Amino acid sequence: MSGSNVWSRSREKIRLFPELFAQCTGEAAVYGKCVAATTTGRQELKKDLCAKEFEALKTCFISAVSDTKVQHVLKC
Amino acid sequence: MSSGLCLRVLRGSGSAPAASSGSWSRFLSRSGARRGLSGSNSGTMNVFNREMKKRQKNWAGSLQDGQQYDYLRDEVGSRVADRVYDIARTFPLALDLGGGKGHIAEHLSQVQPEVVERLFLTDGSEETLKQRRKSEIPTRCVLADEEFLPFKENTFDLVVSSLSLHWINDLPGALKQIHQVLKPDGVFIGAMVGGETLYELRCSLQLAETEREGGFSPHVSPYTAVTDLGNLLGRAGFTMLTVDIDEVQVHYPGIIEVMTDLQGMGESNCAWNRRSLLHRDTILAAAAIYKEMYGSEDGSVPATFEILYMIGWKPHESQAKPAKRGSATQHQS
Repeated sequence: MSGSNVWSRSREKIRLFPELFAQCTGEAAVYGKCVAATTTGRQELKKDLCAKEFEALKTCFISAVSDTKVQHVLKC
Repeated sequence: MSSGLCLRVLRGSGSAPAASSGSWSRFLSRSGARRGLSGSNSGTMNVFNREMKKRQKNWAGSLQDGQQYDYLRDEVGSRVADRVYDIARTFPLALDLGGGKGHIAEHLSQVQPEVVERLFLTDGSEETLKQRRKSEIPTRCVLADEEFLPFKENTFDLVVSSLSLHWINDLPGALKQIHQVLKPDGVFIGAMVGGETLYELRCSLQLAETEREGGFSPHVSPYTAVTDLGNLLGRAGFTMLTVDIDEVQVHYPGIIEVMTDLQGMGESNCAWNRRSLLHRDTILAAAAIYKEMYGSEDGSVPATFEILYMIGWKPHESQAKPAKRGSATQHQS
């Protein structure tokens, strides 16, 4: 069994994603609505059209990550 | 939400971005993200990296808990087996192309093992063949590429194929080979993913990459449309064609589970033009878009698999032919 490498570490990180994402459903919905609006409206989707909403989502996600890290540290 | 809307965004944003995504949007608007009927008979398309697909399937085949990803293949395998019973015949020798763990044979042997007397199970992935399911039907496993069949002409009474044709580069050529190895009055029963399969995943990634990165590249394979299938089978020499379509919708907690399951099934992207990197921001954005645009009330997201079922026969004099013009003996009225 090969040791820890970039693929196994990436897979570990991806495994944590759903749990972290679940803590940001509000921000995700706002961002999602912003992008989804371009598929029905007349406005074309361009880069960073929803940058503000995405930053909010990313901030929430990052804080969820650090909360989880703190939890893991406290456990031991 | 259909891919028509997704296509609209695609055409609009095709102007700005990087070279790879620009060529993708040209390809899409020319052939509508379809393949198999690009007009030329000679130049074969080389869309997929078959070596990489073999590696992916071997990886998936050697997973410890690999059977948790078999649900789709089991379901489609059982439906192909149903179509085999519907033909009131026994088949002394059958071939399962890209059969993987032998899902079709497993179902056949559970319900009516005498329908097929002997079976050749082929696949490109050795690890997957090693995981072969138990079946009453005497089976021979052959490690073979679907595009280079190592069998003589007029050998098989029945050829089946479930969920493997969508990774073949030269689909017309493969269908011709299937036609060749069949005996006259033999039948080919196939199931392949096509049409609008995984449109939710495709659109979410496309929109996310456009908004986050300014362009996009393909992450989901181009599929054959059901309207092209009849032509493809006809050109390969099959007659008495039956084509029908079935939509299977599977619900997942989120986009990550969709992608993990696809990977576990050995269905990861292996197209030459695929981009191997998916930025973390893009994944986050795609997760949000997928949930918002396609999510259900209970928080889960659907992934659509459009399964195209096809039945084609190799011609034989005993088969009914359309009556000659002018041979009618009665008026219709």
